[in-house]
Amino acid sequence: MKHFTGATAAVLTAMGLTSFCLTAEAAETTYTIDTNHSFPSFEIKHMGFSTFRGRFDKFSGSVTLDPAAKKGSADVAIEVGSVSTGVDKLNEHLKTADFFDSATYPTITFKSSSFKFKGDQLVSVAGELTMHGVTKPVTLQVDAFACKEHPFMKVPACGADAHAVIKRSEWGIGGKFPAGILSEEVTLHIQVEAQHKG
Amino acid sequence: MADPVAITGTYAVDTMHTIPMFEIRHLGLSHYVARFTKVSGTVTLDAEKKTGSAEIIIDAASVSTALVEFDGHLKGKDYFDVEKHPTINFKSGKFKFEGDKVVEIAGDLTMHGVTKPVTFKVNGFVCIPHHFRKVPACGADASATINRTDWGIVGPYPPPLVAEEVKLRILIEGYKT
Repeated sequence: MKHFTGATAAVLTAMGLTSFCLTAEAAETTYTIDTNHSFPSFEIKHMGFSTFRGRFDKFSGSVTLDPAAKKGSADVAIEVGSVSTGVDKLNEHLKTADFFDSATYPTITFKSSSFKFKGDQLVSVAGELTMHGVTKPVTLQVDAFACKEHPFMKVPACGADAHAVIKRSEWGIGGKFPAGILSEEVTLHIQVEAQHKG
Repeated sequence: MADPVAITGTYAVDTMHTIPMFEIRHLGLSHYVARFTKVSGTVTLDAEKKTGSAEIIIDAASVSTALVEFDGHLKGKDYFDVEKHPTINFKSGKFKFEGDKVVEIAGDLTMHGVTKPVTFKVNGFVCIPHHFRKVPACGADASATINRTDWGIVGPYPPPLVAEEVKLRILIEGYKT
């Protein structure tokens, strides 16, 4: 009986340790942003009657998630010179000192270590957006957060749509253009997919 | 600009400020976003009779995803098959107004050689004098959800790898001619 109890205790301890190890292992997973399936984009009201959308084609970054502890972090770098609107002339204009000034400020970065979860859903990410040489806080609202095994890579993968409305003047962008021509408010839209690369 | 007489007329689609795009669910994980960069067209509005018409022509080969290799795949036989079907076309003679705003546009979408009806919901319809051109100009954000297989765009990946539902969105700007 004593032996049985001892064995049970040993099993329970082993199970406890095992689950502790699993928890410790699963505590934080790092995901690399899939640049082929992610789209950092922005929308701005043009002359008060239409919406213009542009995207950045070159970027890199990683996200860590710890759903059990409801924590996470993100570190993203976007190449300003990769701004893409579908119109070459506009791309070139956006890179000048009138807007992003990519020669002086070649990189946009977003860094966050403040992730908010509701249940197991990531709902917002608060961080610092550095753009045009200015760093300001931005909170991205997160929709459609999903994680599952990637069907081809067989690794954990997550996706989400994130958005935030910022005021471009806070980053000193496009001061030549009054709100009637280009709205002060810019909506950032980031559709993202990321995989754990092991 | 609420004056219906001023609004009524024919508008050219501003090719530089009009963006036809689509969103599709990828692997049940994320939304894939792409756009077409070459578009032209005409819209007529009669704000008194509350009628309108539209013809939008999209160059299927101008599909743009940020990944040139993938653009090539989208243009190929698996998807848009642009050699055979170079143009995507939307024609409508059915505009629905609420007050002086267009809220819905129903028409026929021809894509991949197939013509089917599609109704776009219209958000943010605004007409004001164009700051530079000094003529009435209108803008809107139109969207509709379709099933790509209705147009025979089956592709190599069935759902849930690539969803059948596709959200179409046209960010449109036009100026009176």
